[in-house]
Amino acid sequence: MSSVEFSTRPVSDQPLRGDFGWRFAAGVAGAGLLTLMLAYAVVALLLRGTALWGTNIPFVWGFDLINYIWWIGIANAASLFAVVLVLRRHGLRTSVNRFAEAAALAAVAAAAIYPILHLGRPWLFYWTVPYPATFEVWPNFRSTLVWDFWGIMSHVVVTGLFWYTGLIPDLATMRDRAVAKGRMVQAQIYGLLALGWRGSVRHWARHQAAYRLVAALVLPMLVSAQTIVALEFATTLVPEWHQARLPLHVVATGIPSGLGVVLALAALLRGGLGLTRYIDDEDMHLLGKLTAAAALLCGYVYAEALLVALLEDATTRQAMAARAFGAYAALYWGGAALVVGLPQLLWFRRARIKARWAVPIGLGAAAGVWLDRFSLVAGGLVRDHLPSTAPLYAPTMPEWTLLLGSVGLFALLMLAFARFVPVVSMFEMRHEESEADVP
Amino acid sequence: MTPPEAPLPEALAAPDPDRRSVLRAAGASLALATAAGCDWAPAEFGSPLYAPARGLGGPAQSYATVLELDGIGRGVLVRVLNGHAIKIEGNPRHPGSLGATDVFLESAVLGLHDPARSRRLRQRGQVVRDPALLAAWLAEQRAALAAQGGAGLRILTGPVSSPTQRRLIAAVLAAWPGARWHVHAPLADAAAAEGARLAFGAALVPRPDLSTTRCLLALGADPLGPGPAQLALARGWAEARAAGRQAGRLPALLVAESTPSLTGSKADRLLVLPPWEIEALARGIAAELGVAAAAGATHPEAATLAASLRAAGPEACVLAGRGQGVAVHALAHAINAALGAAVPYLEDPTEAAAGTLAELVAEADAVTHLLVLDANPVFDAPADLDVAGLLRRVPHSLHAGPQVDETALAAGWHLPLRHPLESWGDSLAFDGTAALRQPVTRPLVEAAVSVEELLSALAGPRADGQALVRETWRAAWGEAGFEERWRAALEAGVVPDSAAPAGVPVLRDDFTLPPPMPAPATPVAIFAPDPHLWDGRFASEAWLQELPRQLGSLAWGNAVLMAPADARAAGLAEGAEVELRLADRVLRAPVLVTPGQAPGVVTLPLGGGRRAAGGVPGGIGMDAYRLRQVASPWMAAGLSLRATGGAGWAERGADFTLAGDPRVRRLTPGEAVPPLPPPRSLYPDWQYTGHAWGMAIDLDTCIGCNACVVACQAENNTPVVGPEEAGRGRAMHWLRVDRVVSGSAEAPQVDFQPVPCMHCEKAPCEVVCPVNATVHDHEGLNLMIYPRCIGTRTCSNNCPYKVRRFNWAGYARQAGAVPVHNPNVPVRPRGVIEKCTYCQHRIKGAQDTARQEGRALRDGDIVTACQNACPTRAIHFGDINDPTSDVSRAKAEGRNYALLGNLDTRPRTTYLARLVS
Repeated sequence: MSSVEFSTRPVSDQPLRGDFGWRFAAGVAGAGLLTLMLAYAVVALLLRGTALWGTNIPFVWGFDLINYIWWIGIANAASLFAVVLVLRRHGLRTSVNRFAEAAALAAVAAAAIYPILHLGRPWLFYWTVPYPATFEVWPNFRSTLVWDFWGIMSHVVVTGLFWYTGLIPDLATMRDRAVAKGRMVQAQIYGLLALGWRGSVRHWARHQAAYRLVAALVLPMLVSAQTIVALEFATTLVPEWHQARLPLHVVATGIPSGLGVVLALAALLRGGLGLTRYIDDEDMHLLGKLTAAAALLCGYVYAEALLVALLEDATTRQAMAARAFGAYAALYWGGAALVVGLPQLLWFRRARIKARWAVPIGLGAAAGVWLDRFSLVAGGLVRDHLPSTAPLYAPTMPEWTLLLGSVGLFALLMLAFARFVPVVSMFEMRHEESEADVP
Repeated sequence: MTPPEAPLPEALAAPDPDRRSVLRAAGASLALATAAGCDWAPAEFGSPLYAPARGLGGPAQSYATVLELDGIGRGVLVRVLNGHAIKIEGNPRHPGSLGATDVFLESAVLGLHDPARSRRLRQRGQVVRDPALLAAWLAEQRAALAAQGGAGLRILTGPVSSPTQRRLIAAVLAAWPGARWHVHAPLADAAAAEGARLAFGAALVPRPDLSTTRCLLALGADPLGPGPAQLALARGWAEARAAGRQAGRLPALLVAESTPSLTGSKADRLLVLPPWEIEALARGIAAELGVAAAAGATHPEAATLAASLRAAGPEACVLAGRGQGVAVHALAHAINAALGAAVPYLEDPTEAAAGTLAELVAEADAVTHLLVLDANPVFDAPADLDVAGLLRRVPHSLHAGPQVDETALAAGWHLPLRHPLESWGDSLAFDGTAALRQPVTRPLVEAAVSVEELLSALAGPRADGQALVRETWRAAWGEAGFEERWRAALEAGVVPDSAAPAGVPVLRDDFTLPPPMPAPATPVAIFAPDPHLWDGRFASEAWLQELPRQLGSLAWGNAVLMAPADARAAGLAEGAEVELRLADRVLRAPVLVTPGQAPGVVTLPLGGGRRAAGGVPGGIGMDAYRLRQVASPWMAAGLSLRATGGAGWAERGADFTLAGDPRVRRLTPGEAVPPLPPPRSLYPDWQYTGHAWGMAIDLDTCIGCNACVVACQAENNTPVVGPEEAGRGRAMHWLRVDRVVSGSAEAPQVDFQPVPCMHCEKAPCEVVCPVNATVHDHEGLNLMIYPRCIGTRTCSNNCPYKVRRFNWAGYARQAGAVPVHNPNVPVRPRGVIEKCTYCQHRIKGAQDTARQEGRALRDGDIVTACQNACPTRAIHFGDINDPTSDVSRAKAEGRNYALLGNLDTRPRTTYLARLVS
């Protein structure tokens, strides 16, 4: 048996280790601090209101929507990546789909706080939910914001299911190994979450069916969730937003950002948790090339936007020009450079393998999409139907605090994921190795 | 026992009261009894208020009274609810109002309720709690003055037209033969009086009826701009314009001005000239029209303008404006005389045999007692008159004013003055028509006295304000039928047929002109009143501070106006700070690059930079009085400019010019706006079977005076957000007046466009609201349901007109919020969107009134706040389902068009295009 040298022990040992070392502790401390900042920003917002932000009329949305779309984009691209791997039974799935799913879940969690906090009266957010209230007023089903509510809810549920379904066999493994190590409390928790998994053939058959079914469910939803977010803009009368290509733009530019985050995380986990054996160079090559290819696609989307604008009516053309060459031009071109240009470095072999290249490139792509979202939300309003004398939108300190806080929340969730569950899918690894054994 | 076949209706079949419901009812009664005691019934004040009910439905009542600007009265109707004065409307019977208001009148109700009003006695600026101290001091001074026969007593007032005040001042001067009266009016123009004396031998002022004027030449004059006669002049101009549209022959408005004005923006022919060129033009026109004193003068534009004036003949009118030289004023009168123009002249109602402030300062050593009545010379005197020093040197001084202003802090004693809405008095309109002022509310400041009471105390025993005014009019009317006339005058808000006699005077035979003004070295500074702060007295009114100026949208601050060419030459961008130096006095201020400003001329608006102005923080804007001199109050040469490199205000964003601006249409007479293609929609049209409210705004007659904006703010409890929030673009005005500038920077064409909510038939805001917080009602109003709004702001994003406002903070309910509220309109909490409702509460009020009177609603029953304020009646409102209504007829005109009509939002608010000949 060739599996003599192969073992999933290093993966399962990580969550069962008592001490994660000072680096992990420092990471948790940093992320925790940022999450506390988030709590502070939220409390300040609830007490003082949206006046804390740099928003005004006409720039009614700022970091609230920018960060929301950005996080949703990351979540969707990460999920999309994981789903495609599962459905295509791609070799890479063993190594990266688990934390791609986790990254998606954490990003959805970070995204989901914004649509609530962005409200003037956040405590009434549940009025977008159709429930039989005594005053018998239902949500306005024509409103894209109601569609968005369903989009986010479905996203949270399905992403969570997808991640959790994939985790069940590994949770059972964790349970068994925790028992073997005599850690009964952990064993009971893992056991509870493993839903009585015994690894019978029947279990495996049903698991595989369920896993692929959920994955198939995720796929259309990812496109739809991004599209619904884009429709919040595209259905308005704002000239630069009111364009059919906007959903495509938002979906397409979301991909390199999500892949970039997964790439950066993979590179970090590889180095940080010593999992080079399990996330091997081939995986990194595949991920890197996918990111670079997605970025190329974005290049097409950007070029199309500029070219088609030339054919549009004067108002739309001026609006596009105002966004690309107006007050927020730096954001537009910075976004384009980071989303389209920077990932092209991943065509180089070294850039894909070395964490010191892959991490900045991956995060750079994500930052580029953030700039793109900023350019969309603020720059898209520079040229409206009527001129305005209001000052431009610029984020304030409380908004930055909110953004940093949501990054902290994302990091904390990812660290918790690395601490408590196997970061690489053990059952898939075993499956792959056993397939490899077949002559 | 009740027979079982006839049970009580369910609602009446109350169960037997149990202990809890009895207690609940008792508690409610107690609470309601307490609430009922909260009203301030005016009867408690002891003065009966006379007015027929003009209520908007419900218990609100209107009382007629009069408010002053520069001593000239404008009649108003004050809406009072439960003893609270909540809104000022114009008095249609008063010639100074004609039912309209301006920004100053609208904000009077705010000044009344200002929490930062002066409330206490002060000695050298420090609060004195014991009023007996002042009484003792007064008795002491009275004795001291009696010993010297009043010598050394000086009374300083603003311009006074009030017959009662003039009578009392005369009585004081009679009682204290050594006393003297001085008048300080920072915006009075001595050159105007001097010019009239040159022309007619008397200081007469023209009072033209612009409704019959077919050709009006304004030589630096701004008859449509703010001022005591604005409402009457603007109405007359609008009427002439309407008649001209009917007849297809528009009256001509010719304007020569150095700095942009509202009149200039409506000009058919606008000449942007420096003041010395305006004089040359006036001389040229006079020469063309055969004025002998100007013979030989020429100007390239004179011939065409003279031809227009000659064509209008007696229906022509020439007006010279504040700040022009003596020659321009004299020439304007001479041209009127040469044309045989039917322009009546009369004596200025505030003309008085009183000294000036400069004379008072000059004889400072002789002054022992100084009484400053409702004036603020420490702030608004020219910088080379050291009034603060005068107050320091004069042993005994008393200032009475409504605010703790600069003079109040510098004077020996300060006494809070009653607000005009709290006291009795009288006033003359610009045409001499008298009106009685009655208190509409209980005095809100216990310690305050009125000017009349103070003067009466000085002349003899102190009398009650009402008795003093009655005494004045008893002397005028006699005993017979006095009570009836008194009541009638109070109810009407005007004394019938009391206008001063006016006539067309004859030019002096020996009419000569002073020598022509040489062109000075540029740049020169010219001073102008601020359109919202006026001479500075309104700086404490937050509504006016936050109101964007007609020019440059400036709010909460002012700026130096410079021509684009001058700014370029000096290397100054808009908003950059400039250091102005004039006769060794230095002032720093931001620059407003102003199209239509004459090159070489820098306009310094007065009234900003108040150091102490009630509740409004000090130091807002720059104080141009610090560069003003007694000898050259309106134009000063020798100005030097230097860019400091600082920024006066932050860069303002998303303003851009639109190629072929679609907002404002200009048509020639007879032309019609081309119709839009038939609108398309996925949704079926809604049929409005009852009323369907709509609005039409006539851009031809809109003069951009902003009265509608303040009226809307006052009516709808629109909060004030303050300078910081306004600077962030969060001002809450439901109605804004967009200024659309086209043409060249040297001779721009300016249009004003009031933009309220459009109440679109296919309202884009409604479809995007996730919680149905903004919906259409059965009469087509697009309304906000504030309790339902969760504040997504999506509606604002989807509003192409950007008329929705968001409560980023709890502006209306936070500490320091505007203290006056219309109880018919909800006060919005933090986090909700708000916007124009077409004054929905007024619609409902009128419908209730009609129902109570058992009749159908009539066209004109509903008047929105903006419509009621408009001096030119540019706003039409009513039922568009009724083809005979005023608004339907307006919308049927060929000039009618929808703003951004190509978006198919089908606005209920439409515009009537401006006509150009």
